[in-house]
Amino acid sequence: MHKKLFAIGLLTLFVLLLAACAPGAAEPETIEIEVTRIVEGEPEVEMIEVTVQAEPGIYQGEEINFLTIQPHAVASKAVATWFEEETGARVNVLVVPYANVTEKAVLDVTSGAGEYDVIEYWYPMLGSLVENGVLTDITDWWDEKGTELEFDDFLPTYRDLFTEIDGSRYGVPYDGDLHLLWYNTSILDEYGLEPPETWDDYLTVCQTITEGGGGEVYGCGIMGAKVPLILIGTFINRLGSYGGALFDAEGNPTVNSPEAVLALEALVEESEYALPEPSAVAFDELLGGWLTGKVGMTEFWTDLGQMTDNPEQSTITGEWGVAPMPQGTGPGAQTVAPINAGFGVGVSTSAQNPEVADAFLEFVVRPDIVVRANTIVGGLDPTRVSTLDDPDYRAHVSDSVADAIKAAHANAVAWPTNAQWPELQEILNENLSLALIGEKTPQQALDDTQADWEAILGEAS
Amino acid sequence: MKSFLERRAPFIMVTPTLLILLIIAVVPLVYVVGLSFTGSTLAQPFNEFVWFKNFRDAFHDEVFGKAIVNTLVFAFSVTTIETLLGFVLALAFRGEQRLGGIVRTLALIPLFTPPVAIAMIWRLIYDPNSGLINHYFQQWGIFKNSVAFLGQPYLAMPSIMLADIWQWTPFTFLLSLAALQALPKAPFEAANVDGASRWQIFRRLTLPLVSPMLIVIFMFRFLIALKVFDLVFILTYGGPGSATNVASFYIYRIGFTQFKTGYAAALSILVLLLISVVTTIMTLGRDVILKRLN
Repeated sequence: MHKKLFAIGLLTLFVLLLAACAPGAAEPETIEIEVTRIVEGEPEVEMIEVTVQAEPGIYQGEEINFLTIQPHAVASKAVATWFEEETGARVNVLVVPYANVTEKAVLDVTSGAGEYDVIEYWYPMLGSLVENGVLTDITDWWDEKGTELEFDDFLPTYRDLFTEIDGSRYGVPYDGDLHLLWYNTSILDEYGLEPPETWDDYLTVCQTITEGGGGEVYGCGIMGAKVPLILIGTFINRLGSYGGALFDAEGNPTVNSPEAVLALEALVEESEYALPEPSAVAFDELLGGWLTGKVGMTEFWTDLGQMTDNPEQSTITGEWGVAPMPQGTGPGAQTVAPINAGFGVGVSTSAQNPEVADAFLEFVVRPDIVVRANTIVGGLDPTRVSTLDDPDYRAHVSDSVADAIKAAHANAVAWPTNAQWPELQEILNENLSLALIGEKTPQQALDDTQADWEAILGEAS
Repeated sequence: MKSFLERRAPFIMVTPTLLILLIIAVVPLVYVVGLSFTGSTLAQPFNEFVWFKNFRDAFHDEVFGKAIVNTLVFAFSVTTIETLLGFVLALAFRGEQRLGGIVRTLALIPLFTPPVAIAMIWRLIYDPNSGLINHYFQQWGIFKNSVAFLGQPYLAMPSIMLADIWQWTPFTFLLSLAALQALPKAPFEAANVDGASRWQIFRRLTLPLVSPMLIVIFMFRFLIALKVFDLVFILTYGGPGSATNVASFYIYRIGFTQFKTGYAAALSILVLLLISVVTTIMTLGRDVILKRLN
């Protein structure tokens, strides 16, 4: 009898011990995850707190792969973790440089590899991705979920531009990106200058500071490296403000219009006084100059304020201001906000797990998730109107930035999204670069672009 | 009398190797040649037969022409400098025992380092605002203002060349050193006994004996240099303007950013033909040089 009791007691103790060793199945647990982001070529480690759901989610044990770009690595990993926490599905975030994301997506589908379920894409490539059969048509899903997920709340400038080709939907807005004019308040105060309202003022301010800076400080930083996203973005900042456009309403190229030539002439003239050498300045080089207080003004995306206020990477915390992009001159002059960059996410046509991929898409556009993703330093900017009024977001970026973004959307200028754009942008990029280094005049560079574009589009039609 | 199998044994034994060669070398080549006669895109291979249109377009493509010139200038310049520099270093360290060992080990570092990492290192070195060169040259008063090595058309290509020379000179150095160490000792001992000067020994013995190997090193390196891609991709993306646009990078852009794989295939074929012509000329040149030296 004693032996039996002893055996039962021992068994009970063993079971209790096992239960004690098991993970706290009933209680949600808050853990910290380490996410790394590349800033100026250096990895920056950030800890994010997440709550791990104890209850098994509806997609427990499922897995999808999410192709994202390097500048959004932190945000995408965070969103993936939140999705896993809620649904149980694991999202493997596969990070590639932003310049290579389109080729990766196309190759994945055309080669039959089928590695990616969800793809992040740069919106000007949307037409090409659709033509190449990379993105799934989600029009029905869009119509079905539109009310529930408040698609009317998307900023009108992004809603169709990032998602629609020929009346069909292929993705959802993920990162809203436009350029604003940022200035270093200390440098401008030192020279008694105001932020410029026109590109003529911009040139004067830039020249004044550069000539007084003795090679230590430059009036402006201009990104002119020969990368389409960079150089064409810089050109479009001016093109729209002089009243020019790449195409007219009928889709005919107008890249050598008088307004476009004025815009390029302004860019070439300003480059003379910019942080050396604009033709070698891309994202990293510009940030290097700006964050060390060498640059008086720059055209940049809306998260520059957060980067500038990070004391680990900046020597000018709090010394910044933001303004709308300057106006051009002439009859068509206006203030514009060019949508340089801007990303959507869609489901790959070769997705291995389309059901979970759809669920992930639904998750990333949910208003609460958008706010959450926009209030971490992760590279994502608002895509929803409501986010710009959200108290958490406004506290995160400052009222001045939130208001500047809201104001900018009134005059947003978009890049083309047609299927020929990858080829057209290479030609424009080449000619802009040649103009910037003086091997072609602005007129010649844009005339050559116009001629090539007409030939390509004529052939295509 | 040998059986059929015995007579055919050598052919049977090399058949697997030939098949593997066929699969990994000939099949892709045939595929690319086929592609070059079509208007293929990445998503729609062999969609339209266009005969020689891609080749005609290539001959009218100014950017491609400039890229070919840039490629040849780059390859010839870096190969000449690297071969000479590697040979001079090999001569200097030929007799060194302890120091030579250390140098040989150090020389392996650039060869082991991934090309992309090397390009990133040089991008940081060249940075006009925080780069090593600008920092010290301005501190020492050599530069008044910072210099954008990768942003000036006349400096960008030499800057890429410098990075390439840093990366590849160890390769020519190690091969030259091996060639020098493999030379027969007897002629040198005889020359010393005859009272030949160091210059006479170098001019009459070392150079003629080592030249065949130096020419092979030059040719190897030249063929590798024609394929330069990583440095251009990371350092300049082919800019500023077309200053550093080389053939392989241009073909990559046509194929993978514009997705025109048919046209990219035609350009690849043209580059292949060009390399074949250059290699043939170099081989003929080598024979002439060797005849003269002998």
